[in-house]
Amino acid sequence: MMDRLRLLLPLAWRNLWRNPRRTIITVLVVSVGLWSILTFSVLLKAWSVSSRDTTLKLMTGEGQIHATGYLDDPTVAHRMTQPAGKLENILSSSAVAAYTKRLRIAAIVQSEYKTLPMTLVGTDPARERRLSVLPDRVREGRYLDGPADTGIVLGRNLARRLKTRVGKRVVVMAQDEKGKLAERAFKVIGLYAAPQQTEDQFAFTGLKTAQAFTGIGTDITEIAFVTPDSQDIADVIARMKASSPGRDIQSWKTLAPLSYAVSTFFNEFILMWLWIMFALMAIGIVNTQLMAVFERIREFGLLQALGMRPRLVLMEVTLESAMLIGVGVGLGIAMSVLSVQAFPNGIDLGFLGRGAELVGAGHILYPKVDAGDFALYSLIVWTLGVVATLWPARRASRVSPVEAMGRF
Amino acid sequence: MIRKAALILLATAAMTGLASADTTAPAPNPDALLRAAFDNWRADSSQADMTMTVHRPDWERHMEMKTWTQGDDDALVRFTAPAKDAGNATLKKGDETWVFNPKLNQVIKLPASMLAQSWMGSDFSYNDLSKANDLLTEYTHKLTGSTKDGPHTVYTIDAIPKPGAPVVWGKRTVRVREDGIMLGETYFDQDMKPVRIMTTEKVSMIGGRDYPVVMTMRPEDEEGKWTRIETKDATFNQSMPGYLFTLSNLQNPRN
Repeated sequence: MMDRLRLLLPLAWRNLWRNPRRTIITVLVVSVGLWSILTFSVLLKAWSVSSRDTTLKLMTGEGQIHATGYLDDPTVAHRMTQPAGKLENILSSSAVAAYTKRLRIAAIVQSEYKTLPMTLVGTDPARERRLSVLPDRVREGRYLDGPADTGIVLGRNLARRLKTRVGKRVVVMAQDEKGKLAERAFKVIGLYAAPQQTEDQFAFTGLKTAQAFTGIGTDITEIAFVTPDSQDIADVIARMKASSPGRDIQSWKTLAPLSYAVSTFFNEFILMWLWIMFALMAIGIVNTQLMAVFERIREFGLLQALGMRPRLVLMEVTLESAMLIGVGVGLGIAMSVLSVQAFPNGIDLGFLGRGAELVGAGHILYPKVDAGDFALYSLIVWTLGVVATLWPARRASRVSPVEAMGRF
Repeated sequence: MIRKAALILLATAAMTGLASADTTAPAPNPDALLRAAFDNWRADSSQADMTMTVHRPDWERHMEMKTWTQGDDDALVRFTAPAKDAGNATLKKGDETWVFNPKLNQVIKLPASMLAQSWMGSDFSYNDLSKANDLLTEYTHKLTGSTKDGPHTVYTIDAIPKPGAPVVWGKRTVRVREDGIMLGETYFDQDMKPVRIMTTEKVSMIGGRDYPVVMTMRPEDEEGKWTRIETKDATFNQSMPGYLFTLSNLQNPRN
């Protein structure tokens, strides 16, 4: 076997370069096809990671705990007590990396010029900081300095719409514990930058301030948490559910369905793209290989007349294709890696403006070469390519020497 | 020497003269003055026929309405003309406001989010109706000046929101005549830039008292926009039937 290979390998390699133009075209077809598959997979993966991170790291966390009914009607009527007992144990165990307690309620904010709906979030900044990036996204003024901070931090765009700014006063109205309207003046202490939808929706104040505002003592409406990478989120949630049956505990997959849909959709999309590109590549490869085989009918006849077995002819032609496609795949990988390396600081989607936010992506995508994905997709393309060329190879091995030698 | 003595005498006389002018017209208490203005305006109870003119750069419309008020808290406004608007009514009772729309035959309780919206397309908001006495309760008042206007003295009072008061304005400046006639009010934003200005354009005797019968509200930022409310007829301090400020009366008028 080794002997045969030692004979066939140089033969196949030299055969490849007997018609360099055809070989180069085929190599290009394969490499460009694979390049598009790999680059797309990297980009879409970056997009889906960005979309997930944007959502989860803004506010959502990886999971949230509410009182039953809160998600349908986010008011203080659906509040809950502070976590205690088993639930508290899980939250402070190593199964949860960080968690924050919030009082998050539908509210109305009023300035001299405008009245707008928003969501008031009372939070403890020290805890919030561990799972949300918003505390560090303050562009003007400052973030809350403690749970008793009486100031309010608005999104830039909300402040712009209200025609207010840091240092001014806004009035916030919300439903209080008795179902009446509570009103309170808040001083704007900071403005944060985030996707526009978030900027318009969320305003932050101290947890204790919000509790006093709505008159609900120490109750809260939301706990958001993140788990360490090593933990299975579904498992943690199952344990939490078991520990406190009265609460509504959900993972980000249900809380942020768009992000979840985006991440699953992209995986499917890559596979679809792979099949489409492969079909196109296969047509090109099979076509050129068939041509190559027909051109060399005389040669195959001669080889067989000289005693080469049809199986070896089949092997030789298959080896040729394997090398041909192998070179293409190698080139494709190299091109993809280079393309990804060309953006060491990520791809800034700033040119899309705020449109990119609509589909949930952050402003900068960070494409990263995933060796596993690269190996898998390359192997699929290479294997399938070789399998496709079995057809021309078989044609070559079926050549009858007599007939072939009679041809010109 | 004599001239110098004369000068000193003159100066002393002038100073005592000023001092005596101060004592003869003591600065009134701004709280009392504003309270008087509100009492003049709404009395214990009031019933009035008014017209409202909403002016915009390219159109203008007139509406007629009847209003009833009782104390600081209860108010009912019912539109009587034009036919398109007739029957629309707004009831304010305590902190709550309802509107009735005859076309829908529905009473709707206004949510807080809508209280800041325009009332019947005018430059007034529901809040202007429902929080009218905010000025008395949520602000501290300071007399900042007075001017003579014929036989009357007009006082200017700055109303600064109390700390923590749920109020968006930077301040409100109110002009009140010494007999408690509201002559104007300017709303300032927190940069002390005027946002909307209300002026009394005519004061005359109505219902047995001097009354600001024509008042105009102009938003500062928009040229050619104003709303004028003119009181045609009014009676004050008459007892109001108990059914008046009720939801049932809002929907099925008995008057």
